[in-house]
Amino acid sequence: MRKSWLVAASTYRRHVRSALFLILTFGLPALMVIAGGVAVLAESGGTLLGTERAAPRVGYVDQTGELATVTSVTVGQGVVPFVSFTDVDAAREAFDAGDLDGYLVIPDDYFAGPNAGAMPTYYGEESPGPRVESGLTAFMRQAMLPDAPAWALERLENPSDVTYVAQETGQRIDQGPALVIRVATPAFLAMVFVLSVFGSANQMGSAVVREKEQRAMEMVITSISPRQLVIGKVLGMSLVSLTQIAVWIVGALGAIGLALTGALQIQDLSIPWSAVAWAALLGIPAYLLYAVLGAGLGVIAGDKQQARQLSGLLGFLGMGPLYFMGALVNNLGGPLGVGLTLFPLTAPTIALFRMTLSEVPTWQLGASLAIILVTLAASIWFVARIFRAAMLMVGQALQPRAILRALREA
Amino acid sequence: MTNGSIALDVQNVSKAYATVRAVDELTFEVRQGEIFGLLGPNGAGKTTTIRMALDIIKPNAGTISVLGGPMTEEKKARIGYLPEERGLYDDMTVLDTLLFLGQLKGLSRTTARERAERYLHEVELWEARDRKIEAMSQGMNQKAQFVAGTMHEPELLIIDEPFSGLDPVNTRIIKNLLLRMRDQGTAIIMSTHQMQRVEEMCERILLIDHGRRVLYGPLDHVREQFAANAVEVDLRGELDHVPGVSRLTPRNGGYRMTLEEGVQPEALLQTLVTMPEVTVERFERVQRSLDDIFVQVVGREVADVEDEEEA
Repeated sequence: MRKSWLVAASTYRRHVRSALFLILTFGLPALMVIAGGVAVLAESGGTLLGTERAAPRVGYVDQTGELATVTSVTVGQGVVPFVSFTDVDAAREAFDAGDLDGYLVIPDDYFAGPNAGAMPTYYGEESPGPRVESGLTAFMRQAMLPDAPAWALERLENPSDVTYVAQETGQRIDQGPALVIRVATPAFLAMVFVLSVFGSANQMGSAVVREKEQRAMEMVITSISPRQLVIGKVLGMSLVSLTQIAVWIVGALGAIGLALTGALQIQDLSIPWSAVAWAALLGIPAYLLYAVLGAGLGVIAGDKQQARQLSGLLGFLGMGPLYFMGALVNNLGGPLGVGLTLFPLTAPTIALFRMTLSEVPTWQLGASLAIILVTLAASIWFVARIFRAAMLMVGQALQPRAILRALREA
Repeated sequence: MTNGSIALDVQNVSKAYATVRAVDELTFEVRQGEIFGLLGPNGAGKTTTIRMALDIIKPNAGTISVLGGPMTEEKKARIGYLPEERGLYDDMTVLDTLLFLGQLKGLSRTTARERAERYLHEVELWEARDRKIEAMSQGMNQKAQFVAGTMHEPELLIIDEPFSGLDPVNTRIIKNLLLRMRDQGTAIIMSTHQMQRVEEMCERILLIDHGRRVLYGPLDHVREQFAANAVEVDLRGELDHVPGVSRLTPRNGGYRMTLEEGVQPEALLQTLVTMPEVTVERFERVQRSLDDIFVQVVGREVADVEDEEEA
């Protein structure tokens, strides 16, 4: 195994140092983070850049005549001053003169109730920013309840943050964003798997063809067995792909995190760890299986173009579960669902997809894992055999008869 | 392994690709501490023979014993190989390449580094150690590959055209390294078309053609076997006829004498020294170059095959 690790480490180092890898790996998340950052800056109204005025000035017109006078509210560490106007024209005049950032009009039927009365309207610049938005909410609470103690006003910011618990199991029932996370996580992981194997099969095939073209193979093969070489190459290339995926995921999460700053609290996120664990248990060996098969197609192919075409077919096989989604939704635990869960090339995607909508029996997941591992071992054996026959055939595709002969001679 | 013990023993080995018989009942052995020339025209079966010896491809028949037995994964660390169709990873530096290939041969990283440094100095590539393979000249590449194939100091070294692409200076560097390895007991199988190098370096040779053995044995014996029936003689005096000589050709102040059928050089020498009008100063049997022998043998073989086909 030491030699396989040497090959894996060497393969990994060679690829992660290449300009193409660096551009592909870091360029995409950098763009995403930049996009997320721009969104945040736009949302912040310039706060993050320090371009927002120290205290936005907001006017208001109370057409109900019922609200208490409020001269300022506290938002976070800052204060937002409020100026009362008797009518809309006066407020607009002040806004036009540049004395206000905007003004709020509370209609006279506001207290007729949310179903009957109109809602307040804010007139101002295109994007008032979160500080003004929070200031308006605080203003309304304070104006309606001028005598309420500070703690009551604070609690009213989020008066009923309820945790739902199932009486029978005692487990927390996800609601709102947490529910979205629970459902979306397996689906997200399934999508990551599909996209990964699509790229991996292609990369692996091209890498093997390149290896043959560089003519280093004959020298290397006198130091290491074909099986060790195949394992090393697959491990190395898989680590390259996983690095790329990890960077992309971190980048995507970073961008999403930036874009959703403040919208979700970390404690709201209930990660479905069992789905994550099964995704890893099924996904990693299945990913390696695709990589080995990609390597095998690279061995058979005569050149990079052939390798790309063949591995493209393999990639489409990886995306195969998407074609069955319609049929599966109506009968997740039916023969088709179980069959595709046990088939090694579709197992991770289908299992994760089923997890988003229902429970998947543990025996099915365990059997699926066992089948993937057996198929992986058999694939390594097969590819190593044909590798020996094809490694010296630069620019020539391996014909079926040669494949059979290679297997027979083994 | 000790000097003289058999490093590679090939017995009645055959290999066929579809209908082509690449190697046909081939038998030879290579000993520790010798440089063995594996010769033959293009397509004769040399590379197939080498690949079978290294267990890269399997023979259809016959047995091959490497370093005292069948080839195993462990033995790979005791064998060095520089193939004809060679190349290294373009995007790796010279030093990284050597560290990688050295470790694959079982060296620790520290030892691999020490050996790489030593050998790179010896082949005058140390300054280029951090250069990528793709940025090196053909000759530099060739030397880097030579180091990659020998830095683990193998007991059996198989090299295919080790001097191709090298200038005279680098040729001498590689030649000296090979001679040193031989002196240290390494069995070296050298496949080449450069007959001059074979004459300079090899103790024994095997010439194969169409997969069959056509010449095999010590180089001296082979040359003797194919020696021209002629001598070169420097002498004082004039000659116009010598008994037993069919043709007398003046050359460089002396004579080249072609002997009549059945006349031995020793008999001619005896005749000359008994002739009172001449004094023999130099008497040397004309040796045929290996190049000539190669052309003669392979040409004859080709002719034989053509004759057979015509028949």
